[in-house]
Amino acid sequence: DSDEIVTPVSQKCPKADSEKMCIEIVSLAFYPEAEVMCDENVEQVYVEYRFYDLPLSETETPVSLRKPRAGEEIYFHFSKVIDLDPVEQKERRQFLFTMLIGEDPEQGHLKFTVVSDPIEEEKKECQEVGYAYLELWPMLVSGRDILEQDLDIVGPEDQATPIGKLKVSLQAAAALQAIYKEMTEDLCS
Amino acid sequence: KMVPDSGAVFTFGKTKFAENMPSKFWFKRDIPISLSCGDEHTAITTGNNKLFMFGSNNWGQLGLGSKSTVNKPTCVKALKPEKVKFVACGRNHTLILTGGGQVYATGGNNEGQLGLGDTDERSAFHLISFFTSQHKIKQLSAGSNTSAALTEDGELFMWGDNSEGQIGLQNITNICVPHQVTIGKPISWISCGYYHSAFVTTEGELYTFGEPESGKLGLPPKLLVNHKVPQLVPGISEKVIQVACGGGHTVVLTEKAVYTFGLGQFGQLGLGTFTFETSEPKVIESIKDKKISHVCCGENHTALITESGLLYTFGDGRHGKLGLGMENFTNQFVPTLCSSFLKYIVHLVACGGCHMLVFATPRL
Ligand SMILES: [Mg+2]
Ligand SMILES: [Mg+2]
Repeated sequence: DSDEIVTPVSQKCPKADSEKMCIEIVSLAFYPEAEVMCDENVEQVYVEYRFYDLPLSETETPVSLRKPRAGEEIYFHFSKVIDLDPVEQKERRQFLFTMLIGEDPEQGHLKFTVVSDPIEEEKKECQEVGYAYLELWPMLVSGRDILEQDLDIVGPEDQATPIGKLKVSLQAAAALQAIYKEMTEDLCS
Repeated sequence: KMVPDSGAVFTFGKTKFAENMPSKFWFKRDIPISLSCGDEHTAITTGNNKLFMFGSNNWGQLGLGSKSTVNKPTCVKALKPEKVKFVACGRNHTLILTGGGQVYATGGNNEGQLGLGDTDERSAFHLISFFTSQHKIKQLSAGSNTSAALTEDGELFMWGDNSEGQIGLQNITNICVPHQVTIGKPISWISCGYYHSAFVTTEGELYTFGEPESGKLGLPPKLLVNHKVPQLVPGISEKVIQVACGGGHTVVLTEKAVYTFGLGQFGQLGLGTFTFETSEPKVIESIKDKKISHVCCGENHTALITESGLLYTFGDGRHGKLGLGMENFTNQFVPTLCSSFLKYIVHLVACGGCHMLVFATPRL
């Protein structure tokens, strides 16, 4: 039959949901009244997070975007799949378990940092303008991935007054549940 | 070797094919001639004048007689007696031209975009009786709920949704049969975006009409009051060859450069990380030294083919629709070379709501 199409056998079969996680830095906005909005030194920003052994070059947005104007959202759509293979990435799974039980430095939170990236690099230095925190434990309990959730961004000095919001997605519920189960079984046995 | 000398169709993003993983396929004794993407569906016509469809089918836009999703390219057998020449996918409907010069339509029809005189959706291709072989159609285009056919003589016909003036009528909200859109000069190219439209005259002038917001008409503010009729876009000095309209942006190919305007919050203008919106046509400086032969817009992304058959993409990178990687995605704010096609000659590209298709042959 000449209608037939040919599809080469796919080389890679997709990893099970429990053996990977995906973090997306979706978008960022600052509140109009936030000090950063009138800070001329902040011209463009990027966002980064840290994950165990991954180099920052893989966990920071590859571009800096112009600082959002009042009422404007800027979009990174920066998503990264992190391999959590039970054999090859045992240490990452162990690390996530310590995060789940809150015994990591950020006490169970994935911390995102908003960084000001000066345009003329010689003159100024990169400067942290705010932080956003995503708690992992509720995700384990609910078993639901996080889709485009707004996190408060707080400034370095005043951790009580939000200066904006960072939108993130996290697909990790299946992996977190599998990791928690296997680690607690290990503890009990 | 994996891909035959006659090439392959490569799929990226939410295509419904191969579980939305980047993939490819080819025809056993046939080659693609035209590709088109709707919001969530895809159409291919081949050298043997067959039509293949896949993707979402909620409105019957695949024309296969049902409304179930189809996850691999499937020949529309009902059209077999006709020779299908080319195809245009709208957001949720499809138009085709046959060798006999007839136009058929299927899918969503809430604004009369099927041109059949009513607003009842169809799940099989129906003949638009308005067109005869005398019309000699050379291009079809389709938008959210709009349709267009352009003839060899430069006559443009449009039908469907006119709520924003996107089919160039002043005082009605929609029309269920084709009507001629004219500015008194022959037209050489048409593009229907989601809620706006643009055409090029044989003299190389660009006209835009439809939804006026966010600069996508490329017009100065004082002209926006007349957004329901085609207006000349000032600010492009040289001859325009092609135009492509996306969801909120417009991409223009001239003899010398690529201009973009409208919304660029995801990078779809290719103007860098400081321009998220412009109503003034701006040249993409970063590709000024490249000879571009084709421009294409999805809802929020853009693809360019060079004369030498290289592919550049930019804009919303979600789901891998820019063809730049397997699982780590990010928005691109300048045209980015798809390095996986360096060993291929890219012939065709089509961009949809969240996907992209590429037809390429190996460089021998
Ligand atoms: Mg850096
Ligand atoms: Mg989209």
